[in-house]
Amino acid sequence: MTTILVTIVGLLAVYAVYIAAMLARIGRPPQAFLDGGNDMPGWAFAFCAAGVVLVGAGLSDHLALVSRFGLQANHVGVGVVVAALTAVLVQKRFWLAARIAGLDSPGMALGRYYRSTALRIVAMGLTALFALPYAAHLLGGIGDVVEAATGGGVPRTPAIWLFAFVLFLPAAIGGWRAVVLVAGLQSAVVAVGSIFVLGFGEGVLAGGGFLSSSIPVADGILADRLPGVVQYSAGIGKDVAAGGIFTGVAVVSTALTLAGLVLSPTFLYLGMTVRPGQGFAVTQVWMIAGLVGAVLVLAAPFLAARLDHGIASLAGDLARVEPLAGTAAVLAFVVAAQLAVAFFVTGGTLLLARELLFHDILPDLSPRGERFAARIALAIAFGLVALLAAFAPVASAIFASTALPLSVQMLPAALGLAYVPWISRSAVLTGLIVGGLLVVFTEPLGLVLFEGLFLELPWGRWPLTVHSAAWGLVFNVAAVLLVSIFTRKGAERRVRDRLHAEFGASWPVPFGGRASRTAKWSLTLIWAFFALGPGAILGNTFFSEPVFADGAAALGIPSLWVWQIFFWLIGIPLVWWLAYFARLGMTTEQGVRRVVLVADDPRRIGGRTPGWIAAGLSRLTER
Amino acid sequence: MGDRPMQPEEALARLDRHALVMALWLPTGLVAAILFHHGFTAAGAWWVAGGFVAVLAGFGGHVIVNAALGTGFGPREVGVGLSLYLAAMLAFATALVLVDGFYETYFLTVAGGMAGLVAAVVFYMVTRHGTRAAFEKFDVVRDNNPRPSSRLRRLGGRS
Repeated sequence: MTTILVTIVGLLAVYAVYIAAMLARIGRPPQAFLDGGNDMPGWAFAFCAAGVVLVGAGLSDHLALVSRFGLQANHVGVGVVVAALTAVLVQKRFWLAARIAGLDSPGMALGRYYRSTALRIVAMGLTALFALPYAAHLLGGIGDVVEAATGGGVPRTPAIWLFAFVLFLPAAIGGWRAVVLVAGLQSAVVAVGSIFVLGFGEGVLAGGGFLSSSIPVADGILADRLPGVVQYSAGIGKDVAAGGIFTGVAVVSTALTLAGLVLSPTFLYLGMTVRPGQGFAVTQVWMIAGLVGAVLVLAAPFLAARLDHGIASLAGDLARVEPLAGTAAVLAFVVAAQLAVAFFVTGGTLLLARELLFHDILPDLSPRGERFAARIALAIAFGLVALLAAFAPVASAIFASTALPLSVQMLPAALGLAYVPWISRSAVLTGLIVGGLLVVFTEPLGLVLFEGLFLELPWGRWPLTVHSAAWGLVFNVAAVLLVSIFTRKGAERRVRDRLHAEFGASWPVPFGGRASRTAKWSLTLIWAFFALGPGAILGNTFFSEPVFADGAAALGIPSLWVWQIFFWLIGIPLVWWLAYFARLGMTTEQGVRRVVLVADDPRRIGGRTPGWIAAGLSRLTER
Repeated sequence: MGDRPMQPEEALARLDRHALVMALWLPTGLVAAILFHHGFTAAGAWWVAGGFVAVLAGFGGHVIVNAALGTGFGPREVGVGLSLYLAAMLAFATALVLVDGFYETYFLTVAGGMAGLVAAVVFYMVTRHGTRAAFEKFDVVRDNNPRPSSRLRRLGGRS
């Protein structure tokens, strides 16, 4: 399998370089290296976004959890509808903000809208979190799988460096557009490859399988039920939740992390650079809620049931029947991780270059200089990611675990920019501090640091079986609401109102009349309650032991899985309703009027390096 | 008449389309390769038939891309497709002659698959160009007349 795997991975890498080189030869302006010319084709956006959500949602982690906890972990897959709903709510408004007010990156958009440098720094910090430890964690996973699949023929560390170099080349040659095009192509390989591996495996592998013998889990774990609505557990590491950790509240709170992926600066940036049309709607409804949901809800149990010892063991089983099929299994995993690493490192580096390097440190660079500087930054970033993945896998994993839940804490800020002008800068910052602290102290990062430095904490990871993302978001939203009561009419409100006035005048959302508006929100909440929240507990026996019947129904498949499929299918029309009917997934550049939010913006008057940065630079360079 | 230099936007649109077409053919090609390999080396004719279905799915996807983007098959794509088809025909004929038992096991499947591919192409051409125009694509004899008037439509030519 090693020779075939290396050959196919090599050919794909060569093809990625070819696409990037062809793109570079077209001779577009240097600025297009950074933003793809802001006219990314809709299909590339759709494929790339779906692939990133699938991998970013933790395809390999999801499979590992399902193989360990059974269908209770699989329930999180329904949460992909939450990711799609979040995308529907924010992506179009960020896209419009870029066109209307020139807020052409997420950090810049939030920073200028709220007139807050701190918020811009928070966005940059999040970008770096996704670009470095999160990507390093994924890259390390590639190294592990390649080493296991080749029986040590390709060791972990060289594999990591090789893949980092292979991913760096198209990024450095073709920039953002090349990475998105290649990621789109890779997403197609992953989607078709995963489905094929599933079908082929079920067809040729003897014994086991989800339908015949369910998912093998350890004693005491409920393989086909949610273990309650909530459990009064001190958290992972301190306590063992009876029956498994995925209670009703665990499912809904873990599903929130998928929204964090959509709110990550790099993903928002992807949306801001897409060309107008129906790209958002197609992506949100059919690709994210539909295709990714299908893979996570329908396919995951089948794959997980055969993942006794990870993807390499499944690949080995398949390779004994058909060597190319075993290679395809490894390839699907490797390519999936590759596309996410390339996406987050390239997008994150370009964002950091735009928001920090070109804005504050070197504001007078020519467009060609900016492109050159971005290429150097990409080389450094890919080098750092490889370094982290190869030599600090545990630290990478610890920091990576906070990326998604911390990203969720941007929800109030994003909703404020999109819809709610009375959410103020102080409210957002207070919420971010409170939410961020709660996330850090309910994840290994804070727990390990605090317990190592000071004293033992009485709680562990995800206390009360509530994911850190929800712990943070609940207190974040409470703080935002509380502070906004007192600060909603601050002086900076005029800036925010300018954008919302333009949104309201030229881009109103046709939610319909009062009844229709109420129906949309109430149905979404009812769906969330039964699909993911406490109501999901009904799914344990709803179809196998019907409420109004005395006997049990012989379904042949677990009731909980039917419940998951049912509510995933209901979730798709919900997303469709907002994306198509309320036109939140449709964009056009007709009627876009420019609005200047902040008249004294340093970029508009030729660029100005902040004094403290200028002084720091001069100390280094003028000796 | 020489080729005019391609504008950046036109070149970009072509590259975008190329990447999309490859996003369809790479996975379907890989799946087809696995199914053909498995069918010919171990399992049997049904797997080979599955391989042809994968190729037809790729072709169908390509046609949908053409319809969505308002384009057709380019000369290079036609060239690659014809070359692969001819190579497959050659391999098929060689296998029939040289491989024992190939005729009994695979003839019907492979011949049916190859015929199915031709039928798909003919169906595409007829639905896209109409019966007459589809036939004219192969009617090279009428292109042999060098006089400009022979290209006038009212004289039976293709202007």
